[in-house]
Amino acid sequence: MKVTVERAHLLKALNHVHRIVERRNTIPILSNVLLRAEGDDLRLKATDLDIDVAERVPAVISEPGATTVPAHMLYDIVRKLPDGSQVELATRPDGATIDLRSGRSKFSLQMLPESDFPDITAGVFTHKFDILASDLKRLVDRTQFAISTEETRYYLNGIYFHTVEVGGDLRFRAVATDGHRLAQAEFIAPHGAEGMPGVIVPRKTVGEIQKLVEDPEAQVTVELSDSKIRLSFGEVVLTSKLIDGTFPDYGRVIPQGNDKDLIVDRSEFAAAVDRVSTISSERGRAVKLTVGDGRLTLSVTNPDSGSATEELGVEYESEPLDIGFNSRYLLEIAGQLETDTAIFRLADPGSPTLIQDRGRDNALYVLMPMRV
Amino acid sequence: MQNHPSNLTHVRQLSDDMINRIAAGEVIERPASVVKELVENAIDAGATRIDVTTAGGGTTLIRVVDDGFGMTRPDLALAIERHCTSKLTDEALLAIETLGFRGEALPSIGSVARLSIATRHASEPHGWELSVEGGIKSAPRPAALTLGTRIEVRDLFFATPARLKFLRGERAETTAIADVIKRLAMARPDIRFQISGSDRGTTTYTSIAGPDAHLVRIAQILGEDFAENAVPLDFERDGIRLTGFAGLPTFHRAAATHQFFSVNGRPVRDKLLLGALRGAYMDVMASDRHSVVVIDIALPPEEVDVNVHPTKADVRFREPQTVRGLIVSGIRAALSATGHRASTTGGRATLAALRPGWQPAPAYPAPAQASLPRVHSGQTMGIGGSRAPEIPRPASWDWQAMGPAAPAANGFAEGETGQDSPVHHANEPPSAPTLDASFLSHPLGTARAQLHENYIVSQTEDGMILVDAHAAHERLTYERLKRQRAETGVARQMLLIPEIVELTADEAGALLAAADDLASAGLVIESFGGQAIAVREVPVLLGKFDIARLVRDIADDLTDQGISNRVETRINRVLSTVACHGSVRTGRRLTLPEMDALLREMEVTPNSGQCNHGRPTWVELKLADIERLFGRS
Repeated sequence: MKVTVERAHLLKALNHVHRIVERRNTIPILSNVLLRAEGDDLRLKATDLDIDVAERVPAVISEPGATTVPAHMLYDIVRKLPDGSQVELATRPDGATIDLRSGRSKFSLQMLPESDFPDITAGVFTHKFDILASDLKRLVDRTQFAISTEETRYYLNGIYFHTVEVGGDLRFRAVATDGHRLAQAEFIAPHGAEGMPGVIVPRKTVGEIQKLVEDPEAQVTVELSDSKIRLSFGEVVLTSKLIDGTFPDYGRVIPQGNDKDLIVDRSEFAAAVDRVSTISSERGRAVKLTVGDGRLTLSVTNPDSGSATEELGVEYESEPLDIGFNSRYLLEIAGQLETDTAIFRLADPGSPTLIQDRGRDNALYVLMPMRV
Repeated sequence: MQNHPSNLTHVRQLSDDMINRIAAGEVIERPASVVKELVENAIDAGATRIDVTTAGGGTTLIRVVDDGFGMTRPDLALAIERHCTSKLTDEALLAIETLGFRGEALPSIGSVARLSIATRHASEPHGWELSVEGGIKSAPRPAALTLGTRIEVRDLFFATPARLKFLRGERAETTAIADVIKRLAMARPDIRFQISGSDRGTTTYTSIAGPDAHLVRIAQILGEDFAENAVPLDFERDGIRLTGFAGLPTFHRAAATHQFFSVNGRPVRDKLLLGALRGAYMDVMASDRHSVVVIDIALPPEEVDVNVHPTKADVRFREPQTVRGLIVSGIRAALSATGHRASTTGGRATLAALRPGWQPAPAYPAPAQASLPRVHSGQTMGIGGSRAPEIPRPASWDWQAMGPAAPAANGFAEGETGQDSPVHHANEPPSAPTLDASFLSHPLGTARAQLHENYIVSQTEDGMILVDAHAAHERLTYERLKRQRAETGVARQMLLIPEIVELTADEAGALLAAADDLASAGLVIESFGGQAIAVREVPVLLGKFDIARLVRDIADDLTDQGISNRVETRINRVLSTVACHGSVRTGRRLTLPEMDALLREMEVTPNSGQCNHGRPTWVELKLADIERLFGRS
């Protein structure tokens, strides 16, 4: 294989694929990136056996071929090469070494045979549709924080994507929960998503999706089967296994009858929660919300250091109520809201609370109170 | 059925001898069981001295001689019949006050060994003797004997060769016999015990009278170490009295073989009691270490059922939770009353560590080195009577001063009562401000320096103290966090999606029965059908964790021990991590006032003598010890 490629192109592609590669591997080839020179492209591909990211960059091919080289090493080398330089990659006839030349720099890297490189992308995808990159990113951004990290309930370790019919419209919906809170975001389902299976996309894949969305206006092609998802971001193609499990019937925990509406200024509220929780040292210290008569009082007590209260003017017309929440959860949800005004739908101190942007129903959050 | 001999097809009454052999299988498990039965008989007979002689690990010979009441001739003849006993009247099974009562021991032994009994009762002009060999009894014949009973068991299990094959080695059986005697002797310091034989050295526990008899006897058995590192227990609640001694948390063993329980003077080894002990030490000892305790539980005989098993090692309490609570709270109270005390073995280990590095000059007198291992030998209480017939009380320990009311003074009586030592006027560093002279009389003394950016060196009136500043501060922080948690209660996060845990119906039932306790620890559960439990709320402090596994572990604890501390343990573990991060680290230089402040806080904080893993936070070197190191004593 002999190929010449622009450093900027190679760096961009390596930047995308090398992140998948784990730093420590028990299988040596998983540390490597696959390089394949073919036609007018150099194709790069990396995998951790759960996710596979492939990208093609324009290149001048003098001699087609394929090999694998250590991904992080190659990335670091290319990163340190001067901007605007050309990179020449040429395998030696011994089949064990590849030479990388750029300007006056020369590197020799050990290769592993391309034939050993695992391929997880095979399989038939039953559904295919295009969605706007910004829409996909919004769904992921709004729900990602609620993904569970607890490994026993593995089916909560990802975002559940599925379609659901709401008022005659088919919506494409993302849901994540860790058993303490739940986040849900949705938009009108694109053509082709009808009848798609509900899929749980693992946390690591979710993180990669967030990073791969570079142009919000671009279209992302989504392909699905029962066990895999493939997302094409232009030249970059990500294929991932799905979590093989059943997502719980989350609809049952979304409260329907909460009738006490508390309307707050979102940024004012978040800043106030942040301020009063300074006083708590232990993790997960509760902040108490006392609402009534157009006023919301936030208070935190820490027997070690003291207490804090802050009062906010709010819209609230139901009977007074005291309710405690984990301040970190409140801040995280407040950070997800998109408009200036948030609405808390409360029932009682022992029941889930619904939090939404006022006047929008394309995202909602459910938070369970704390007992103190 | 065709192949069976026809006489097996009929139901028939077993012969008495066969019945005795079967019973012997339960009562007489191994030579140590024979010793137990015979020594218990001797104790029940009011003996003041009991001599046990064994040979061949007890299989060749067990001889027990006592000076108790003895038996009359008719009693003797009856004693070897099954279910014949003088210890139980017809109505008294629910209120047993003697060690034995089943009337099984002698006939059982007689059916599997060559048994000979010689006894003399005060009302008889001379003694009587009879023998039983494999169940065949001889007639009583006169024997020369002073008051009391002598029982010899030879060729144990000769009549049941199968049992003989299953015995462990001679050494193991010899040790087991010694252990049985230890357990019995522990409860009765007034009786002199001697055990000897061709298979062992002679051990004597002299009889002891007086208020400290118990402790002296314990020291005879467990060694002087324990006496120095134990706190006395004496608690009473609801008619149940707990007495004995609990080892300090820093004084621990790798196995649970040094935990002696007795109920109304009867040595027992009961799961409930051992579990309670674990609970009591949960917070101050690493989970793979075991405490050393000697505890007697005195309660009305009708409150406890000892007739659970022929060997009577298991007991049933009518109010198991009360007994358990008393043990846990009693030991905890006693331990926290000791405040900062750490075990003296730390200081001794220091001395031991110093020794190998010490290279005496050739001209140095050899006896000085020989005397070093005996640094504390002036107080050593020998186990063998040959060493210390009259046991002196340890001079360095004032048990009377011990008590929950005087935490700071505990264990330092010698520091305050000792005569004015030369320390006062010697070695006052010129840099030391005058204010620290006032701390010299404090138990942990006045801080002089910090070494290796961690260890505080402090001077007391009669020695010096080394404090592991990080470990000590970590423990202080931990105790403070625990106090806060106790004040504010456990914050609980309600679960949006309840965790459903599948269990067996028994486990689910046990969990639900304990639901109130679990809720106060922060875990709220409710029934979810017959075999499943729904977890509704979890302690916030634990963050996100494997709820199902915790619940299953708790269920195991509950079915096994009747109680579970797991949630508290988990919470305390989190607190201890927080404490570790919030403490002064090794590498931080402290000023003298900071060091003194730490020492003063340690003196008033319960359990500050050990870190969260049971390691001591400080060790003491007595001036006398230091002087011995230099051969000056």
